[in-house]
Amino acid sequence: MTVWHLDPEAIRRYAQGAAPPELAASAEAHLMRCATCRDAIASHVDTRRVEAIWREVVDRADAPRPSWPERILARLGVGEATARLVAATPTLRGPWLLGIAGVLALSVWAAQVDERLLRMLLVAAPLGPLAGVAVAFAGGLDPTREIGLAAPYSGLRLLLIRTAAVLGVTVPIVAAAGLALPGSHWLAAAWLLPTAGLTCAALALTARMTPVVAVGVVATAWVLVTTPTAMAGHLDLAFGVGAQIFWLAVAVGGGLWLAVTRNTVTIKLGRSA
Amino acid sequence: MTVRVRSATKSFGRTTALDSVDLDAGHGVTGLLGPNGAGKTTLLRIIATVLAPDRGTVTLLGRDPSRPDDRTRIRERLGYLPQDAGFHRGFTVFEFIDYVAILKQMTDRRPRHDEVRRVIDLTGLASVSAKRIRALSGGMRRRVGLAQALLGNPDLLVLDEPTVGLDPEQRLRFREMISHAGEGRTVVMSSHQTEDITALCTRIAVFHRGRVRFTGTPNELTAQAAGRVWADSQRSAAALAAWRIGDGTFRNVGDPPAGAELVPPTLEDAYLLLMGEPDLEVTHS
Ligand SMILES: Nc1ncnc2c1ncn2[C@@H]1O[C@H](COP(=O)(O)OP(=O)(O)OP(=O)(O)O)[C@@H](O)[C@H]1O
Ligand SMILES: [Mg+2]
Ligand SMILES: [Zn+2]
Repeated sequence: MTVWHLDPEAIRRYAQGAAPPELAASAEAHLMRCATCRDAIASHVDTRRVEAIWREVVDRADAPRPSWPERILARLGVGEATARLVAATPTLRGPWLLGIAGVLALSVWAAQVDERLLRMLLVAAPLGPLAGVAVAFAGGLDPTREIGLAAPYSGLRLLLIRTAAVLGVTVPIVAAAGLALPGSHWLAAAWLLPTAGLTCAALALTARMTPVVAVGVVATAWVLVTTPTAMAGHLDLAFGVGAQIFWLAVAVGGGLWLAVTRNTVTIKLGRSA
Repeated sequence: MTVRVRSATKSFGRTTALDSVDLDAGHGVTGLLGPNGAGKTTLLRIIATVLAPDRGTVTLLGRDPSRPDDRTRIRERLGYLPQDAGFHRGFTVFEFIDYVAILKQMTDRRPRHDEVRRVIDLTGLASVSAKRIRALSGGMRRRVGLAQALLGNPDLLVLDEPTVGLDPEQRLRFREMISHAGEGRTVVMSSHQTEDITALCTRIAVFHRGRVRFTGTPNELTAQAAGRVWADSQRSAAALAAWRIGDGTFRNVGDPPAGAELVPPTLEDAYLLLMGEPDLEVTHS
């Protein structure tokens, strides 16, 4: 027989869901055995709260558990709706990422052999994340593009969410490759600002052309400008201090332009949008 | 009128997919009928705000889809099943429909999940809701496509060949769901199945090479074939089309010879006649 009972204050707090975990646990253990306290608690329980708890339980049982990428994003503080949108980004599929990693591993190995290849790698590094952004919006790769186009969700917001997701995954891969370079010093990070600048420039261009074309334009311009000088051994034009400041300015400028025009510009998400 | 299209023209390179097309659609189910490449999908994509016409005006739910603000308002009240709807095949049925619900700006998880469950029940998908889409049969996937289109009870439902690839029983179920959806709202759908059109549509538009050849009710279209369908023991030389039916006689469609044994026409007969004489243009109002 139980000789003690929960005091009224404990019952009130437990019923309102305001009890600290230890109290809640011992109260629950007691409630399992004591009908008197169970009766006492029934009069305190807010039926709306019970209803809400019940709906939550049903929802948890019925809605499938989110996939692991979505759970990781939730841990990082990303909202569950945004996490679902990220999970649907075509680029973030295993085969594609393995592809980038494979190409980079090969390039790193080649760079050990020939120093000129190292410079080419720096030129090529921003193209990986950029290609990821393009793939995220290539019509043929997003099977639900038509459904998405007919939905009211903001094209710009979707573009930014997917771009952030692609950069979040591809930048670490490229960075890892950079660290594996021979005699890697600051050059291993020198491609980061150009990448940010090129991405922002491509995003800003999406008001005029589809994301895939915008990325193509930006990537072509980058390769045309940097390749000849890099091959000649001058990296300053693309990676010097002045260039870094320039790319920072491009990134900030592109970002500001996107922020200012977000309500007036229609993002062209596909050939036909 | 929920949908009002005037002189819409759309070309892809040298192909004119739509040539000065007019269409009105209000409450009920409006069907687009026509052979492959007639322009049905192009028009439905325009009505779904996915495509803009090169020329002409479109008004949807009283708004102008060429204006960004209006377009968003229209999309909030629109459901669209594309002809070749793809899916994220790694998602489960529930996750996928939930994903589209997010794109439809249902941000609160609980009410959104309730809505997802509602359309899953409506389309008979409850038993497979936790299955991955890649593991579903084609017909089941078609249901997933319809389910996502029904999210949020849209006022305008655009369905491109919703019944394609379904077995007869599922087709009946789809007809039921679509005709139910057409009560009190506007459904515009395309189909190659004249039976679907006869069973479902209050109005039809027949397309041929980017132009509208007929608009009116299914009965009006059928009536056009009155006196032009006859039964014979052989294929008649005068017929535009003839085929052997169950009892071994031939059903001939075209201009009957004198003394032919006329039979009551069907919608399909009238459709065949219209396609056989593409210069004919008929409009009922
Ligand atoms: N994106 C595109 N690019 C090029 N041509 C296109 C495009 N979309 C449609 N067409 C062309 O426009 C014409 C009309 O095509 P549409 O898809 O509208 O026909 P449909 O009536 O839906 O045919 P089906 O019954 O086969 O679905 C066709 O000749 C087609 O090849
Ligand atoms: Mg079509
Ligand atoms: Zn007690």
